[in-house]
Amino acid sequence: MKRIATAELGRYLLQGRLSTRGCLKTSQRAVCRQSSLQTSLACASRSLQTASTSQHAGPPIAPLRKQWRDEAKQAKKQGKGKAKKDSQTVDGWELTVGIEIHAQLNTSKKLFSPAVTSFNDDPNSHVALFDVAMPGSQPLFQNEVLIPALRAALALNCDIQKTSRFDRKHYFWWDQPSGYQITQYYESFAKNGQITLLARDGIAPQDGDSVTIGIQKVQLEQDTAKTLAQSDDTQLLDFNRVGVPLIEIITEPQMHYPRTAAVLVRKIQMLLNTVDACVSGMETGGLRADVNVSVRRTGDPNTPLGARTEIKNLSTIKAVEDAIIAERDRQIRELEAGGTIAGETRGWAVGSTETRRLRGKEGEVDYRYMPDPDLAPVVIGEDLVQHLRQTLAVSPDMELDKLIAEFGLTAKDAVSLLNLDNGARVQYFYRVLDGLETMLQANAGGDDMPALKSYAGLVGNWTIHELGRLTTSKAGPFSQVELDFTPEGECAQVPDAELSQLLYQLYTKRITGKVAKELLMGLYLGDLDTGILETIESRDLWFKELSTEEYNLQIDAVLEGEERVLHELVTAGEVPQGKVMFLIGKMMRSGPTERIDPATAEQLLRTRVSELRAGA
Amino acid sequence: MRLCTICRLPVRRALTQARYLSTETPPPAEILAKPTWSVRSLLSSPSNDTAKDEKITPKQLHHLLKLSALPLPKTPEEEHSMIATLQSQLHFVRAVQRVDTKGVEPLHAIRDETDQGTQEETITLDKMKGLLEEEVQVGYYKRPKRVKAKVESEAEDWDALATASRKKGRFFVVQGKGKKAGEAA
Repeated sequence: MKRIATAELGRYLLQGRLSTRGCLKTSQRAVCRQSSLQTSLACASRSLQTASTSQHAGPPIAPLRKQWRDEAKQAKKQGKGKAKKDSQTVDGWELTVGIEIHAQLNTSKKLFSPAVTSFNDDPNSHVALFDVAMPGSQPLFQNEVLIPALRAALALNCDIQKTSRFDRKHYFWWDQPSGYQITQYYESFAKNGQITLLARDGIAPQDGDSVTIGIQKVQLEQDTAKTLAQSDDTQLLDFNRVGVPLIEIITEPQMHYPRTAAVLVRKIQMLLNTVDACVSGMETGGLRADVNVSVRRTGDPNTPLGARTEIKNLSTIKAVEDAIIAERDRQIRELEAGGTIAGETRGWAVGSTETRRLRGKEGEVDYRYMPDPDLAPVVIGEDLVQHLRQTLAVSPDMELDKLIAEFGLTAKDAVSLLNLDNGARVQYFYRVLDGLETMLQANAGGDDMPALKSYAGLVGNWTIHELGRLTTSKAGPFSQVELDFTPEGECAQVPDAELSQLLYQLYTKRITGKVAKELLMGLYLGDLDTGILETIESRDLWFKELSTEEYNLQIDAVLEGEERVLHELVTAGEVPQGKVMFLIGKMMRSGPTERIDPATAEQLLRTRVSELRAGA
Repeated sequence: MRLCTICRLPVRRALTQARYLSTETPPPAEILAKPTWSVRSLLSSPSNDTAKDEKITPKQLHHLLKLSALPLPKTPEEEHSMIATLQSQLHFVRAVQRVDTKGVEPLHAIRDETDQGTQEETITLDKMKGLLEEEVQVGYYKRPKRVKAKVESEAEDWDALATASRKKGRFFVVQGKGKKAGEAA
């Protein structure tokens, strides 16, 4: 590429003025401009050199870089905001979403037979006579199912019904041997619950701070068999899963934004996992969501809800949001073109842009619900409900509230901490915090302990960000080791006791942050033969801070030759932060870095500046 | 033999009553000679045929057969006879439906619904105590969790695949009918 004259380049970059002459003419001129180019280059380099010493105009590059960065930030902010608004709402239309969640209960036996529940065991190895509808077999309700079922209903704030009954839902399919599914259509065991979604859970911004969704009912039902489709048009069936207890959670149609609906599914999944009701998630197929979508025009709130379609086979949280958006857009397109929405069942495949029709209204199945005569009503004792209510696990919301209010973590940090490693990382956090607290207590003796929030924040930061950085850092081929956490919060690679020790030394300023990070890396890679304390001792990594006189000497050295900066610091109305930081940086670079604490240095520098300002 | 006045009173009463009844009502044989109701009223006949709009159409018949996974009729005569049978059955059902059941709870099954019976059926804390005690407390907040232990079950001690007409390894094999969308639970 042809070299462009520096002056022309400068004119373009700084003032946005392009040469109006054609390139041909420019190339002609280039030949005779060679000599002038050299002189202009020499001029430019000289100007750059003087710029660092004279603070008048400063080098032309710095404010330009700042300008670019500001523009990029502005564009990003505008761009992002626009995209969110486009997908969550459509002008003139209101979306209504209701969700049905099917989740496998955490039991050892099935719902109506004493066969064992399993995951990925040998096919057809856990099948009772009733599971395959062998003529003459009878259902036998397994009481064990009530423990996780009641916990799930209590976690969703439902009213537990003393007596509930089972009904048959008839349809024929090869994964349902008896020709009907036993469910609780008329009288479910729990109803009228609710769940509250907060802004920190990630709901659509149009929903504000929080939104409460009603739960219409929670009912027990059976699962179906696992089908493996073969290429030659046959299906292989594994009946291990038939009869496994499921709960179906049906929400009220009170959601109006796709993001909120997706967050609801995720939050319910987490809630059920916490109370030990349903421990296999969406990825393993233990939790499935069916979504009902309808649209109507905004304006009169009394207009009836539009015809709804049902979307089945949603296997991830993102699919829930994407499918709702696609279906809403399809329905709006249909209605605006003058058509009507048929009440049909549609499917969604990951990566597609539109839902596809599975079953139309003509083929709508009449399930012919009828009470199951073989099963007695389930009568739940009040004492059992009370006991489970009292011993219900602490909810994730309460845990988050405590992490934010008492431990001082940010909402974003607290949420990511809870979600990392399936809840094991937060247990690790509590262990490290406990260890640190013990050490600080021993150190304080009779004096006051430092504020919980001050060191809890440090622990949180290191547990979330520094540990996360370990697995993603480029520390060489040996850094491929993962971080393994047990559900109790023990880590093999970075034991919590060692991290407590490290953070204790860091918090009490006996080692610097840089040293601490290196020690953590060493600990993770297994390079440290002995513990943290011994390593610090043996390699003498203690932070030997400069004394106040030595600091002042450093300040003197830094201020030497910086008349311009000094003049600005003294005369300016308010002490400019940037200049102070510049001097600190210079001190760190020129002086003994490992012995300087930036905070202390800044404090002393400001004291010096205020002295000079008072004197001047 | 002459009765005393005390004994004569009830006898006289009975006789007068008998005379009273016998003048008002016919003898039993007469009552039973004329039936007021016949089982035949529950069967449909040309006289009490249903109105045209209540007739079962072939389309409805086919829909019902599909729902029950029964084969469709092969000849028009078969279809006609099926519809006639269904019609007469519905006539019977409508007769039963005419009974006034206001305030009567539908019966699902014959069970012991006494207080004691219900109490025996109630799943109380005592019945679940054993299972609850097997749980462990996990983590900082000591949340209860079920321990996943290996359980053996007698109900599984039979060869499930023995009755299969088609199998592949340990799987049952079902012939599909081309790409048909599945019905999820």
